[in-house]
Amino acid sequence: MALLQIAEPGVGPESNTQRKVAVGIDLGTTNSLIAHFDGASLQVLQDGSGSPSLPSVVYFGASDVRIGQAAMAQASAEPANTIASAKRMLGRAREEFEDDPYVTLAPGDTLAFATAAGAKTPVEVAAAILAALRERAEPQLDAPISGAVITVPAYFDDAQRQATRQAAELAGIKVLRLLNEPTAAAVAYGLDEQAEESSVLAVYDLGGGTFDVSLLRMRKGIFEVLATGGDSALGGDDFDRALADHILAELALANPSSTQRRKALQSARDAKEALTEQESVTLDVSDLAEALSEITIDRSLLDSLIAPFIERTLHACRETLADAEVAAVDRVVLVGGSTRTPSVRKAVAECFGLEPLCSLDPDQVVAMGAARQADILVGNRAGDEALLLDVIPLSLGLETYGGLVERIIDRNSTIPVARAQEFTTARDGQTGLIVHVVQGERERVEDCRSLAQFELKGIPPMVAGAARIEVTFRVDADGILEVTALEQETGARSDVVVKPAFGLSEGQITEMLKAGYEHAGEDMQARKLGEAQVEAEGLLAGLRAALAKDGDLLSDAELRDLEQNAAALEAVMAGNQPEAIRDATESLGRATETFAARRMDRSIQAALQGVAITDLESDQEQGDGR
Amino acid sequence: MRLRRKLHRLIVNATPGAPARDYFALFQIQPELTLDEATLEQSYHALLAKFHPDLYAGQSQMEQRMAAQLCADINSAYQTLSHEVTRAEYLLSRAGVDLEAAERQGVGGEFLMKQIMLRERLEETPSDDATAREALHAEITTLYQSSRDGCAQSIAASDWSAAARCWQEMCFLSKLQEAARPEAR
Repeated sequence: MALLQIAEPGVGPESNTQRKVAVGIDLGTTNSLIAHFDGASLQVLQDGSGSPSLPSVVYFGASDVRIGQAAMAQASAEPANTIASAKRMLGRAREEFEDDPYVTLAPGDTLAFATAAGAKTPVEVAAAILAALRERAEPQLDAPISGAVITVPAYFDDAQRQATRQAAELAGIKVLRLLNEPTAAAVAYGLDEQAEESSVLAVYDLGGGTFDVSLLRMRKGIFEVLATGGDSALGGDDFDRALADHILAELALANPSSTQRRKALQSARDAKEALTEQESVTLDVSDLAEALSEITIDRSLLDSLIAPFIERTLHACRETLADAEVAAVDRVVLVGGSTRTPSVRKAVAECFGLEPLCSLDPDQVVAMGAARQADILVGNRAGDEALLLDVIPLSLGLETYGGLVERIIDRNSTIPVARAQEFTTARDGQTGLIVHVVQGERERVEDCRSLAQFELKGIPPMVAGAARIEVTFRVDADGILEVTALEQETGARSDVVVKPAFGLSEGQITEMLKAGYEHAGEDMQARKLGEAQVEAEGLLAGLRAALAKDGDLLSDAELRDLEQNAAALEAVMAGNQPEAIRDATESLGRATETFAARRMDRSIQAALQGVAITDLESDQEQGDGR
Repeated sequence: MRLRRKLHRLIVNATPGAPARDYFALFQIQPELTLDEATLEQSYHALLAKFHPDLYAGQSQMEQRMAAQLCADINSAYQTLSHEVTRAEYLLSRAGVDLEAAERQGVGGEFLMKQIMLRERLEETPSDDATAREALHAEITTLYQSSRDGCAQSIAASDWSAAARCWQEMCFLSKLQEAARPEAR
């Protein structure tokens, strides 16, 4: 493996002749946005009519698919074909929505909506929204998008993150990073604040369907998430539903039709928005029922209906504060449209003892932060950007004997992270075992979320307790988990990248992509070839640069071996076989492993040299005994 | 069939199959219990500034993977070394001490009694009596510090059985200290 182009802090990459176009996407429950940073200014890209936000609504008609406003226009005529708030169903199980009166599920085992265009999974709905955003951006930026940072609620679990990645893949978007929404908002707010010594920022993010709270510390060049918490199924939609239920009850509609429900929900939304400015609002409900033609709702009624939801958010805030072990918060930032509700603002101010900030548009701030980070990740670095250290929101563990959870990685661990633990067998002669991976904070398996199960076979029969099985968890920078189990004596090994149990299979994705390319008239083979060539060129360029700088780390024989591998890759690169190029790239990559490891060690020393000097100046401190 | 009985936490390199990277060597510091935590944090940040996966997002997949693995090691190393109790545990396992056996052997009746009495006193102290809780917290802290100093000396002298006993005392006392924190809810 490589790591041939070791990053030099403060120095942009030399080959950066052309600025790559990257975008930030806020895939929201209610609205989605796409933003771009061109090195000087940040802009949230608008549609033809000047609106920055795209309603996260997709209409699947018998003959066409519409997205955004055009889809919303179909909502009352064809409610079942018009899918809204699909985000809250991403990566989730069918059982969780079977009793939901607001959705019409297609028959079968998977979670999918029944539409005139057939069964549509939440991943496909999200993909349609992402594709529409890409199509909005590319003509305006006059370039294909090289990559995107897509934001997800911090509290999204592994399956929900995987499902988001799948949606991007289906939409033909390369994901540079999944970024937690509150972290993205903090990036947008934190940019002007780098001069400050050290400050703690709380982000309270209440969207349509999700709630997140994060605490971050900003200090010279490092932006560190201390703790994150929330609820991935709590948001402004709950406010709307509570109010809609109230309206239906007032109208004495015990068994409302789905049309009546939708109308009530729309009235509830209108009322909620009106009540951010006014003390009371009168709704015309004449088309909903015959009993009444008008209903008046005042702010105190709304406040009492939504109070239980707000209390749940405050509870999460208090827990997160305790997790972060911070004494005081310097600033509180509001994100998400639902923070416009006056009683939410008041409750947040009381909870943190601070007047919250909302100088950036709470609907746009997440996309803005994501765009900024995307520009950095795609390689347009100026060198003085703050480094972002994010965490995993929920603990990860394994089921052990008796249905108990053994925690392997604690929540709020900085990612990427790898942790291992050794286990043994429970019975004499046990030759296989099931590795059941779970996520959550509770002690019993049934109270946690099941992420994956796999089997390790081929353990030699031994007495109980004699086998040594090493289980390793690795979480990457996107918060996605990979688990490996290894029996130490025999080397029997089994591993799994945790795939969303409720998402799409690899085969389904390949099929859909193929269909998409045929539709767009693109050649999948040509695209694969292009990608393989780019990857190969990158590796060769990196190798040449590395040899020029650190060639002295290699013996003559090692150098010859590398050169042979490089020549082999160059030989196949001109051809039209993507697989051959991939194989040669991989083999060259493997050949560079030792070289790369030595370069890393040399570069670790260089990185620590600066610290060693300040070490002499700083006083020897005793820990405070924690 | 399920997994049974946890053995001890392992130290692994994030690179599958590779030998474990020594955490002290990674930060280029002496393997001792007493260390300057501020300098450790500076070193941690200096390493991340060079190896964080964000800096490699535009590069080849292999480079991304390698950076992620090294960074995972850096994060795990920092998490382990930045707290005294886990640092002591790491020093012991690094020296080949069987921590399971040490745990079975226990800390001795005298310490156990002392610990039970402290816990009883904590339960009897009302959580709104800030003065009393602060006094108890200070007392536990002093005991913890003495176990920690004992552990540091035993490690320096390579007296591993004494170090393992002190480490267990540290585990008990740090939990008690956490529970007795005046602001704890």
